[in-house]
Amino acid sequence: MLIDFLQLTVAGLSQGSVYALLAVGLIAVYTVRQVVNIAQGEFAMLAGIGGAWLTAAGMPLIVAIFVAILSVTLVAIAVERLIVARVKNLTTLFSMIVTLSVSILLQAIMLLIWGPEARGLPRFPGENLLIGGVSIRSQELWMLGALIVVGGGIMLFYEKTRFGKALRACAEQPIAARIVGISPVMASVLAFAIAGFVGGVVGVVSSPISLSIWSGGLLLGLKGFVAAILGGFSSFRAAIVGALLLGVIEAYVAGYVASGLRDGVAFLILILVLTFRTQGLVLKPTAVRV
Amino acid sequence: MKQSRMRLFAPVVIATALVLAGCSTSNLGGSSDTDPSADSGPIKIGAVLDITGVGASLGVPEQNTLKMLAAQLKDEGGINGRDVELIILDDESTEDGAAKATAKLIESEGVDLIIGASRTGPSLAMRPLAEAAEIPLISVAANAAIVDGAKWVFKTTQNDVTVLESILNDAEKKGYTKLALVRDATGFGEGIADYITSLGAERGITLVTTESFEPSATDFTPQMTNVRGSDADAVIIWGINPAAGLAQKAYVQLGVNKPVYQSHGIANQAFFDAAGDSANGVIAAMGRLLVTEQLPADNAQRPVIEKFQADYSAAYGEQPSTFGGHAFDAWHIAVNAIEKVGTDANALRDELEQAEFIGISGEYKMTPENHSGLDASALILAEAQDGRWILLKD
Repeated sequence: MLIDFLQLTVAGLSQGSVYALLAVGLIAVYTVRQVVNIAQGEFAMLAGIGGAWLTAAGMPLIVAIFVAILSVTLVAIAVERLIVARVKNLTTLFSMIVTLSVSILLQAIMLLIWGPEARGLPRFPGENLLIGGVSIRSQELWMLGALIVVGGGIMLFYEKTRFGKALRACAEQPIAARIVGISPVMASVLAFAIAGFVGGVVGVVSSPISLSIWSGGLLLGLKGFVAAILGGFSSFRAAIVGALLLGVIEAYVAGYVASGLRDGVAFLILILVLTFRTQGLVLKPTAVRV
Repeated sequence: MKQSRMRLFAPVVIATALVLAGCSTSNLGGSSDTDPSADSGPIKIGAVLDITGVGASLGVPEQNTLKMLAAQLKDEGGINGRDVELIILDDESTEDGAAKATAKLIESEGVDLIIGASRTGPSLAMRPLAEAAEIPLISVAANAAIVDGAKWVFKTTQNDVTVLESILNDAEKKGYTKLALVRDATGFGEGIADYITSLGAERGITLVTTESFEPSATDFTPQMTNVRGSDADAVIIWGINPAAGLAQKAYVQLGVNKPVYQSHGIANQAFFDAAGDSANGVIAAMGRLLVTEQLPADNAQRPVIEKFQADYSAAYGEQPSTFGGHAFDAWHIAVNAIEKVGTDANALRDELEQAEFIGISGEYKMTPENHSGLDASALILAEAQDGRWILLKD
């Protein structure tokens, strides 16, 4: 019993780390630009499918991963420059409509280029572990590791560095930010680059066990969205904790109740949070507007 | 005020009129069997396949196969001098998509026969439409419920019950008495637990636990954890790829260490792509396509399969999958019947009911009672070994 419980917890934490990274990408953009990026999940699928395609064409895994993440980062910058930046009077609601179109556009492009079948990257190096009857797949450790390094790194960048704080300042005081020499254009490009980079990382680390498919990004992105809501769309920490919780609860529901209910968990949480506790898991709401 | 209200109403009225007009023309158009031109002009064969969505690993090779065969037929000059037009629609692996596509084929295209869908759920959604319009439908999906008691519906894939019988026979021989089932949550996996319980009873086999998964699922830890905790001797994973392949992978990685059986739903390369080394040792019941070179030289299916493999790899640069084979059989059964009796719907249906064909998935012998036409002889058991299937039992 205990082993089963721990097994589900491990699966939930690794899945949760994927949601957490997506939430980090969403918040990174939102705090700078007040844009809710519905296409965040597509960035992940794009990296996974593209990376799998490159390795299938004979490129070494490590190079393919690097190229995939870099390309998706560039795609994210292109989305910002060519689409988001050109919309006049961009409100948050309008940003969701715009990025939803981007999401559908990216899906269609992936479907046209790589076809409808799911693809997966080869497994990353490492041994699967068996600790006290609980099996931990090496890829799950890569997923958790990606959260700690990339998610943690971005969080520290925004919260601790001058430049990161300045990025957030753009959202709160755009004119003041410009007066003291921070370019809102630069800030916006950087925020999208971070979102693309995080999406790319999520795509390549999760692809070996969950495969990547052209249509898979929206649901994945929505799970990240729920985690970001749990973080009040402002706190990286609360969102990461929320994402890990979400992953674990999903695993328990699938294991102890019914696997068909799994995808409903996130949306039930979403409704509850939006109805009863709009600040999510954030304990001390900061000055950043939610 | 009055005018503005009129302006609001006008589009609604026009739209309603158009919809009604659309309905009436399609009603007046009637079914093809009363159409005097039914036996001249091009023959229209429609296909509804799971080209995108969870069934893509089935629908894509099926689409490729049908396109290739239609091109071949065109080169041969059609059927009895009549051109054959193939119209393929994507149901996006959904039931409502399949129903819409079927309605479109019947209403606007006026097809003479329909092939599809790739999976059980969408096929079941098409059945009532074909029955009501009295148009022959040949499904390429597995569940026996698709053709049970049907008048106009046929199918080419081996029945799930037959597949389970071969698996359970093997399990009985190996002395397994307790089985666990991890099944597809959609139509393909529907009823499998009941079949195992009833077919297992006469073999001293009981089903101790059942888990299910969505075909779009990517994490199988919860299900496999529950299987690991059960006292089953062996496990049946029943699904299609990539889900079934990912389930296999999770199964091995979680160290469940019980023998695994899989269904004919995994008989394609996508299984090895998704499962990798974890596929080794899996026993699956399937048609003969993937073990052709291991068949005895005098096997009646062998030349048919070898020609299909040669044609398909010449056209698409890869080996065909079992699912392409199901479409191959459906196409040929349809074309042979049209060649004999033309496109009069009733005559075509009667002819399909006595169709005999040596195909990729087996030797068909349709009867009025059996619209599936295949029995247990269509199946073999094979074991996965390093990315290929080894024939265990013919």
